[in-house]
Amino acid sequence: MKRKILTAGAVLAGLGLIAGIFVYFFLFNKPHTDYSKAEADFEMKAVAVFEEFRTNPELASGKYNGKVLSLTGELTAVEQPDSLTIAVFSYEEGMFGSEGVRFTMLPEYAGSVIAVAPGSTLTLKGLCTGYNETDVIMEHCSVVK
Amino acid sequence: MKKATILFMFALLATVSVSAQKYITKNGYIRFFSSTPVEDIEAHNRQVNSALDQKNGDFVFKVLMKSFQFEKALMQEHFNENYVESDKFPNATFSGKVKNIGEIDFTRNGVYQTTVEGDLTIKGITKKVTEKGTFEVKDGKVIGKSTFNILLADYGIKIPNTVASNISKTIQIDVEVNLEKLAK
Repeated sequence: MKRKILTAGAVLAGLGLIAGIFVYFFLFNKPHTDYSKAEADFEMKAVAVFEEFRTNPELASGKYNGKVLSLTGELTAVEQPDSLTIAVFSYEEGMFGSEGVRFTMLPEYAGSVIAVAPGSTLTLKGLCTGYNETDVIMEHCSVVK
Repeated sequence: MKKATILFMFALLATVSVSAQKYITKNGYIRFFSSTPVEDIEAHNRQVNSALDQKNGDFVFKVLMKSFQFEKALMQEHFNENYVESDKFPNATFSGKVKNIGEIDFTRNGVYQTTVEGDLTIKGITKKVTEKGTFEVKDGKVIGKSTFNILLADYGIKIPNTVASNISKTIQIDVEVNLEKLAK
């Protein structure tokens, strides 16, 4: 009887340990999403997303914020502030200069957009974090084609 | 026709005059930092829109909450879904004035101590804030820096009891904006 209780206790302790390891590695320490491998929720022209945000920011925020977008457009410029590489598709001139869609590239894709000549057509994929009244902001971006 | 042309020229001159006094960035930086005996938590956002009007001291910035990056994915999820509810409140904003803008000589390199006063809105709640900071004029650019603290409770951010010991009730905010003259 005593042996059975000890065995059951050991099994429970083992299961608890496994559960603890699972929670630590797969929940508490789970890795960030790799957006370069994520499936796009929307595939469309970048200018269409920009227009939706510009005309109805609330509606567009509900539709696109936190979603993976694959957007096609013409590269206007590549900016490199600090350690970032940002591909810019511009569509308007506003109070804060050019307005459009800004893609912060994943480090491994930075070279790919730097090498592209302005005016070229690109499809970039990433996480849409919202619209700041001048630009649609895309993070963790990769080059699709 | 002649009258319309003159009016357009006046409007154009006014626009050029106003824009020449504005400094902007689309890549300002905001970090927040929570320190408790249990753990330190910090998040970084390098997509901050900010503008400073040299003439009247108007100073604004706008932050997308989903652009904050945490070390741990789970923290980022909790931040967006439970604490700041970024689907419902996607932006945080500051709109105010540099009170002593007249003391900054934008033509001469130097570091100027400033006081910024205005409305800080987080999670849809607006509070008046007055904070110290510096504006450094460097080769035609202006670098604004400030560090201040906010109380989470002031902005309706509730921390569940289960993680209350992990997250400080007061959060340190560091702001750094490298502003460039708006070219038009």
